[in-house]
Amino acid sequence: MSSVAVEIVDIHKSFGKTRALRGASLLARAGEIHAIVGENGSGKSTLAKIASGIILPDAGTVSVFGATPRTPVAAIAAGVATIYQEMMLAEELSVWENLFAGSDSTWRRRRSNTQKRAETHEVLSRLAACPIDPDARVADLTLSVKQWVVIARALVQKPRVLIFDESSAALDLEATSRLHEEMRALRDGGTAVLIVTHRIAELVKIADVATVLRDGETVGRLERAEITEGNILRLMSAASGHSARGRSAAATAVGAEVLSARGLQTRASAPTVEFGLRAGQIVGLAGLEGAGQVEFIAALAGIAAPVGGHVEAPSGQVDGLRAAEAAGIVYVSGDRKREGIFPNLSILENFGMAIYPRSGRLFGLLNGAATSAAFAREVDRLAIKSGQPGDRITTLSGGNQQKVLIARAFALSPKVILLNDPTRGVDIGTKQALWRQLRAFADAGGAVVYLSTEIEEFFNFVDRACVFFDGSIFAEVAATDLSEDRLLAAMFGQSAAPTFGDAALSPKPAQMEGAA
Amino acid sequence: MFTSVPASLRHLIVPAALVAVLLAVAILRAPLTFSPVGLAGAVLVAAPLILAAMALTPIAMAGRGGVDLSVGPAIGFVNVTIVVWLPALGISSPFGVFAYAIIMGILWQGFLAALIIWLRIAPIIAALAGYMILQGVNLVILPRPGGIAPEWLASWSFGNDLFGPVLWILLGACVFWGFFTRTVLFDHLRLLGADERTAYTVGIDIVTARLAAHVMAGVFIGLAAVCLTGMIGSGDPTQGNTLTLQAVTALVLGGTSLAGGRGGITGSILGAVAMWLVFVVLSSFNFGAVSGFMTQMVFGLILTASLLLSVFTGRARVRTA
Amino acid sequence: MTVSVMGPLARLTKGENRRIVVGAALLVALFALASVLVEGFASANNIKSILLLASFLGLAALGQTMVALVGGLDLSIPFVIGASNILLALLFGTALPPVLAILLIAAFGAGIGFLNGTLSYRIQGQALILTLGVGFTVVGAAQMVTTLSSQYSGSVFSQVPAWFSNLASISGKTFGFGFPPVVLIWAAIACTVIFWINRTRSGRHVYAVGGNRTAAARLSISERRVWIKTYTLSGLMSAVTGMLLLGFSGGGFVGVGDPYLFTTVAAVVVGGTSLLGGAGGYGATIIGVLILQVLTSFLVGMGLNYAAQQTVFGLLILPMVALYARLPHVRDQI
Repeated sequence: MSSVAVEIVDIHKSFGKTRALRGASLLARAGEIHAIVGENGSGKSTLAKIASGIILPDAGTVSVFGATPRTPVAAIAAGVATIYQEMMLAEELSVWENLFAGSDSTWRRRRSNTQKRAETHEVLSRLAACPIDPDARVADLTLSVKQWVVIARALVQKPRVLIFDESSAALDLEATSRLHEEMRALRDGGTAVLIVTHRIAELVKIADVATVLRDGETVGRLERAEITEGNILRLMSAASGHSARGRSAAATAVGAEVLSARGLQTRASAPTVEFGLRAGQIVGLAGLEGAGQVEFIAALAGIAAPVGGHVEAPSGQVDGLRAAEAAGIVYVSGDRKREGIFPNLSILENFGMAIYPRSGRLFGLLNGAATSAAFAREVDRLAIKSGQPGDRITTLSGGNQQKVLIARAFALSPKVILLNDPTRGVDIGTKQALWRQLRAFADAGGAVVYLSTEIEEFFNFVDRACVFFDGSIFAEVAATDLSEDRLLAAMFGQSAAPTFGDAALSPKPAQMEGAA
Repeated sequence: MFTSVPASLRHLIVPAALVAVLLAVAILRAPLTFSPVGLAGAVLVAAPLILAAMALTPIAMAGRGGVDLSVGPAIGFVNVTIVVWLPALGISSPFGVFAYAIIMGILWQGFLAALIIWLRIAPIIAALAGYMILQGVNLVILPRPGGIAPEWLASWSFGNDLFGPVLWILLGACVFWGFFTRTVLFDHLRLLGADERTAYTVGIDIVTARLAAHVMAGVFIGLAAVCLTGMIGSGDPTQGNTLTLQAVTALVLGGTSLAGGRGGITGSILGAVAMWLVFVVLSSFNFGAVSGFMTQMVFGLILTASLLLSVFTGRARVRTA
Repeated sequence: MTVSVMGPLARLTKGENRRIVVGAALLVALFALASVLVEGFASANNIKSILLLASFLGLAALGQTMVALVGGLDLSIPFVIGASNILLALLFGTALPPVLAILLIAAFGAGIGFLNGTLSYRIQGQALILTLGVGFTVVGAAQMVTTLSSQYSGSVFSQVPAWFSNLASISGKTFGFGFPPVVLIWAAIACTVIFWINRTRSGRHVYAVGGNRTAAARLSISERRVWIKTYTLSGLMSAVTGMLLLGFSGGGFVGVGDPYLFTTVAAVVVGGTSLLGGAGGYGATIIGVLILQVLTSFLVGMGLNYAAQQTVFGLLILPMVALYARLPHVRDQI
């Protein structure tokens, strides 16, 4: 049994009110390719950053070959090289300067500039499979070459532990297989390679061991033959194992079309999307990360113009926020910190900011009574648990913050509500209450588009699910035909015939903690 | 035509062109300035500005929008204390004065660096506070211009020799900077300014790199103060204040990105020379009573225009959406 | 869940209000200390003088506060003050009706502010250097204008209407009461601004943009408009301050604005408004202004000259900034 490279035991980490990790553990040995896999928000990136010395845990132990990395410098000294999710590049500097960044100690040069240039040219040309000018400015490179620069930087360090955090996103299929070769070479040389990823198809080909995270804790560890798509997905999404069914035929009458997309492209060279939404409908958007559903919903909301095609509503084309507003479209984001809440303002004000234009009096004067009344209505409807409305919104839990954002969407009396992964970090009771509210909204004539990364949300809730793959809608599945296998297959770009039929027969992983 | 210029020198196009144009105009309007005696005087007058712009460069390169607004009063502080404190301490030798000036410059920059590194106060705010503190301190130490500089230093203001001490100081400063650019510390500094997160995650000692920038700035501040003292022959508590604006303009003009990473000393020197040439050209016109104000207005316009230009040539880090 | 109303005491100790309460307590303590140590400190005359000088600083710091709330700084304030001061003196010497002259200069200040906002929007990080450049340009140009129009360079002596002088001089009377009207003017403007920023949509937008620009954009709140508005207000207030200072001193002097470069920043910071944007407000700055003014009077009473006062203020900014304007550690930005 080879030596233990990275051992993480029972890690807890919270960011303010958000619990990113609650008891995650990991054991990686030298000479193995170890995948850390989970959905968005499962804590896998946080785990990688803890091993890299960027984040310090609140509780639990971390050790890399016996040392505890509390800074990136310490981690690097212990032999860790990390390739982060966000590309760490100095855009204004040259390729060779970026590649060999950090390779010299403060007081001693380990390589001359000539050596660095030569080595850069050699290594990069091999990895990128095309000649790269070492003096070129990084800002002028394509995304995939930039990714190679960052990967090469880690490789020339000859690390004992190499951590990849979602680093193949920018690489195409052919480049990814070259990357896999490099990984295998490193593994055979005794390095422990940790891959943080959600790309299940990819990791099944290459991982020796897989640790599965869900909601901040380790829910399973799979070795060798146990690593199959079915097993991983089941652990990741707490799917029940037996095929859940969608809701029975809708009793709601469906009305006129309220929103449509024609010839829409989420990115260059992606197939076009044709989409229609009618009053009374709830449509779910599903797909693996990066499949284009986020760009799609942003285009529907008028936030970001699509690469091609356009979005239409009865009131006209939706080409921006104003047009969306005029069309009665409201957007609710699950990424509260970035585009949702105003952390410096009170709960009431976070709610009210959106409805000031309609609740206010002449000359922009605020109408405190109207705002408070609207807030009280929504608080009751959504059962928001909070202190005083005058408290800062940051005193609320993530789930309750989300409720405030959803409440203000309802208060705008919209025709269409677009929700972008709104139940991230929200408990099941709240989720069910939200689904009831959205159903009631649809029954009263509204329309809902609901993007989610949790498969279970698509049952008993949506009328149909649009599954995105490779930039456009791969399949539209009506509620009556909805099954877990069908959804998962579509997410991988496979049509009706389920490929997980064998999953029920494959050996269950040895340890499964807390799985449904 | 400009694509043949290597990318690393592209930021010098504007300041170099400006210097060329201004030089032509200045030679036409004020030819006496360019006689050997005239040039000797020019070097003497321009040296504090050039060294001040050189002091601003490493701090701007270190990133976080660091513009050291305190550079003017800092030079004034060293100047004033040379004239007031050193005689009382019995220090008047060239070695003593230089050593004192440089050490004092480094100590002041070290104080600012501590605020920026450990208290994480935004560099520009730290500099603002520094300006305020020193402005007051200078006037407390020396309420009115006066005092007498050591004889060997005061004699510089009478110098007619182009290759006098001031020119050697300038050359020495450039050589010193040249050595610095060859060190690993300098590479780390550039990376730190270009992208601090990258520098941090690749394991660079960002504390030492930032400190090094401030130490270099301190050295140039000390040298600038010595030159200033030599130029005026005494102490002046407010003379340094105008240096700040001129040095910042020279820095921006010279193409050093205020956001960090890009730029270099050549640009700042060219920018300072350009500023001095503007002054020469303006002085050659007889604006009479408004000449001082004209200079003020022109300097303000140049600073504003250079900043806006840096936005349009993509040198500034611009907000998007 | 019921939406209950908080008792007044509970409301006082919450969040934003807490800073103001602490500041007010500090002010009272400082005043008490000064009254004990400096003879005649608590006299009516001294208080009048403190309030008068505080009015000028308060008006100048109003613009700085607004700009700081969106994360910027305005260094053109002293220059616009000086330029307005001498330009108004110049206009008073012409045949133009005084009221019209005042409106003209106010528009001038607002226009400079508008220019600052428009030009600096895209380079927010270095916006204050830009305002420095604009300010320098403006003050140079203004001095040229006044010099070319008069015999005296830099200072302008002309006919300041008596009612105007009464506004801001120490012996001025307000409706027969023994304090200068400028204090009342300050109070009126302060109330208007505080009302605007707390009870109107456009005012709340300032806090929204200062708190989370992306979230604000999602609600169609134009960050550009808010940015330009705050700078325009700052320019207007600088002009108002410069004009009132003319009434105070009786003669135009371009350097009259110089002290306000850093004291406005100091007042904002001492009051507790974060220079990173989104937190604080003008109420807090008023406390900061009063603290600074009481402190100045105290230091004068203790025998410190102007230079020493500057030093003390500079040293005071540092701990306040360390409390209210620290950048996050680089590891928290990854």
